[in-house]
Amino acid sequence: MAYPKSHNPFADDDDEEDFKPKSRGFDDDDGLTDAERRQRYLQQEVMRTAQSAVDSSHRSLRLIYESEKMGVDTAEELTRQGEVLRRTDKMLDGMDQDLKTSQQHITSIKSVWGGIVNYFKGKPEIKPPPEQPKPYQGNDRLQSALSSSREHEDKYQASHPNLRRLDTGGFGASASIDDGPSRQNGYSQNRHLKEAHHTLDKNLDEMSDGLRRLKNLGIGLQAEIEDQDDSIDSLLNKVDKMDLKIHNTNQQIKNLK
Amino acid sequence: MDNSGKEKEAIQLMADADKKVKSSGSFLGGMFGGGHHKVEEACEMYCRAANMFKMAKNWSAAGSAFCKAARLHMQLQNKHDCATSFIDAGNAYKKSDPNEAIKCLNAAIDIYTDMGRFTIAAKHHISIAEIYESDLVDIEKAIAHYEQAADYYKGEESNSSANKCLLKVGAYCAQLEQYQKAIEIYEQVGANTMDNPLLKYSAKEYFFKAALCHFIVDELNAKIAVEKYEEMFPAFSDSRECKLLKKLLEAHEEQNSEAFTEAVKEFDSISRLDQWHTTLLLRIKKTIQGDEGDLK
Repeated sequence: MAYPKSHNPFADDDDEEDFKPKSRGFDDDDGLTDAERRQRYLQQEVMRTAQSAVDSSHRSLRLIYESEKMGVDTAEELTRQGEVLRRTDKMLDGMDQDLKTSQQHITSIKSVWGGIVNYFKGKPEIKPPPEQPKPYQGNDRLQSALSSSREHEDKYQASHPNLRRLDTGGFGASASIDDGPSRQNGYSQNRHLKEAHHTLDKNLDEMSDGLRRLKNLGIGLQAEIEDQDDSIDSLLNKVDKMDLKIHNTNQQIKNLK
Repeated sequence: MDNSGKEKEAIQLMADADKKVKSSGSFLGGMFGGGHHKVEEACEMYCRAANMFKMAKNWSAAGSAFCKAARLHMQLQNKHDCATSFIDAGNAYKKSDPNEAIKCLNAAIDIYTDMGRFTIAAKHHISIAEIYESDLVDIEKAIAHYEQAADYYKGEESNSSANKCLLKVGAYCAQLEQYQKAIEIYEQVGANTMDNPLLKYSAKEYFFKAALCHFIVDELNAKIAVEKYEEMFPAFSDSRECKLLKKLLEAHEEQNSEAFTEAVKEFDSISRLDQWHTTLLLRIKKTIQGDEGDLK
């Protein structure tokens, strides 16, 4: 199998990072003062924290994509349901029409007087079938939601790069403080740190994109569900009326005998 | 046990109903319309017997009882009831004898298409296709039934149901290496869904699948296809699928199967790739290694 299941793309980096401090420790152990040892320890702590932040952002990203997939499936199912509801509505209208015609027939069968009444009532107007509605579009509110969210996102982006500059700037300062044998070590750790932060930022960007999509998807789903709620209510009404009419028609036919 | 008692009752009922049918057929009473009553009663008895067989979990007997009921309904010209009985028979047979089930379901579909009820017919085509998928494992026939269902749904303007069936057809075609057909289907569905505000989030998935199929056929096709999709659907270029495709294309050009695997692993670490995707990607990877000859 080409693709092992649990691959941590940072596994290689991890080994590298853990390895370097140890090898450096080996060389410089004798000449280290307490302060420098503490400094080294703190640097390692920083790396560890940065690493775990990156890992957790990775996990969050995966969760966001999973949610999006579920949302997408739900959306498809909802659209299908909406189509079914619409079809049911059309069929109910057809049934209503048929019931009216049968009612006509029954009144004419009941008595001659009924037949005359029918003649004056005239033919039942056939409701023109509603013009072939456009293929089911879902809700338009989504469009406006999309455009407004984009504006908001641009404003948010403006504040984001500032944060980024702060981080690397801070660590750039610490690199210059290191001196002596640890100067080179400080630099390489800084590079790793920069990479970690860079990945973190990239992941955070992706996460914000994903969340934006999720939000829009959610808004769209909600609007769709509201629409369908309304159609279900109206369908319920129609079905109840229909039920009553059918019952009456049945009664009349029984009485005809 | 309660159930075995039911079974005996059911067998008794069947025998009674058989007698009734025979008697109504040969007897003069059949000519007077009184025979109809008997046949109706026999029908009802068959149905009750079948339900009792279902309680006793004797699926084959239940299925055959429903079939008999269906034929009686046909005699009485009750098309709706006939079709319903055939469907009940099919459902009962599903658990014991898939072939019989398919026969019953086909009979029901014929009746429904005759009456013009295409939506229901499509639904049952899907049931038959599912039987072929799981029990009988005849993918070709499953594809045929899914296609038929999709056509009926399209005729009834149920586009999302039609899309659902088409997607299954596409997935199986790609598995059976009928890539041209799969590509057409995925492109069509992608183009349909990308305009719908609710469904456009799934459009990128379909374009990704279409591009993968292009890839297996020929790398240049895939490149052109990806560009085409980006043009048609700008959101596609932001998606991770598109980025993966570009990396794969590069790796393929350089004949670098390690970069290929790397890119796939990276994508997989965030969103798992399912069985279908991994199969296709493996096939693509083989073409890289095939070209390298004996090196790897």
